[in-house]
Amino acid sequence: MQLAGLITGVNHTIGNNPADKHLVDRVLRGDTRAFGIIIKNTENLVAQIVFKFIPVAEDRKDLAQDIYMKAFHSLGGFKFQSKLSTWIARIAYNSCLSWIEKKKLVLPGNLHEDEEIFETTSAGIYHHSSVENNLFQKELSVILRKEMEGLPAIYQTLITLFHHESMTYEELSQITGLPEGTVKSSLFRARKMLKENLLSKYQKETL
Amino acid sequence: MNNIHPRERELQQYALGKSDANPEVIAHIESCPGCQAEVSIYQMLFTEIKEQSPVSFDFDVQELVLSRLPKTNTGLTTDDIIAGFLVIFTCSCIGIPVYIFRKIILNSFIDIPPFFIYSIIIGTTGILITKILSLYKKFLKQMHLLNIN
Repeated sequence: MQLAGLITGVNHTIGNNPADKHLVDRVLRGDTRAFGIIIKNTENLVAQIVFKFIPVAEDRKDLAQDIYMKAFHSLGGFKFQSKLSTWIARIAYNSCLSWIEKKKLVLPGNLHEDEEIFETTSAGIYHHSSVENNLFQKELSVILRKEMEGLPAIYQTLITLFHHESMTYEELSQITGLPEGTVKSSLFRARKMLKENLLSKYQKETL
Repeated sequence: MNNIHPRERELQQYALGKSDANPEVIAHIESCPGCQAEVSIYQMLFTEIKEQSPVSFDFDVQELVLSRLPKTNTGLTTDDIIAGFLVIFTCSCIGIPVYIFRKIILNSFIDIPPFFIYSIIIGTTGILITKILSLYKKFLKQMHLLNIN
């Protein structure tokens, strides 16, 4: 049983999922219906990325098509060094960046805002406990969604993939091509920025 | 209690529920209402993000993409054709001579004493059973090595 456990452990580390392998084999043998299953399994994840970068619905349609066509034609080169979903998410992420560059679009949010945010201690923040309760009353989820949209696209993507899709730092690093340390510090800045934006927004509204 | 408030990064780490946070930081947060309030804001944020309804495309991605892919290949592949040809060729190589020389083959058994034929049948069966048993033992040994059973 030890060896079996070891094999399972190795597969988990490299993200080699037997179901993924089976699907990829089927696609490579010419079964396009298997590719339909891959699309079904990953389209929500791809949508999470595409929506953060591309604001126009029509562009999203073209881009989604583009992403999956790229994935289909590159599937033969997929080496199972990550999960299939992570690999497709990486294609989606890179395609979004290329699309923005090609169309000369301006990314949502201000990428330089984070430069002004420095680590601070939590001294003198006792008032936040009452703010927390009031935020609940102000339909927090609506406010949060709005504030999320104000963050730089990369921050939105990282936060969503980490907190919503429960992805690991390693997977985020594979998707974005950023070192794990950069992913961690970007996530830290993103959360801090989101928290501060939420609090300042609330304080402005109450004035 | 350590009177220095933890840094923002440490508060986030604590709010994420990471057990690798510094014990001094944990002790401070657990006894400091201000830091607890900060942590609860983060925890509330994380919960809200997790509970946000996921976005989805307003069109059928599968249909859109699959319509652009080559049709599903349900026909025979080159490998299938080669394998089929080899099977037919092997069967022909055995079957055609047997059919042509069937009378000679049948006659060749007429003069053989029944005892000899029975011996051949029993001998062949014995060898087959021994081979199957040895293959089964080998299979069990390999399964044991792989820790599968």
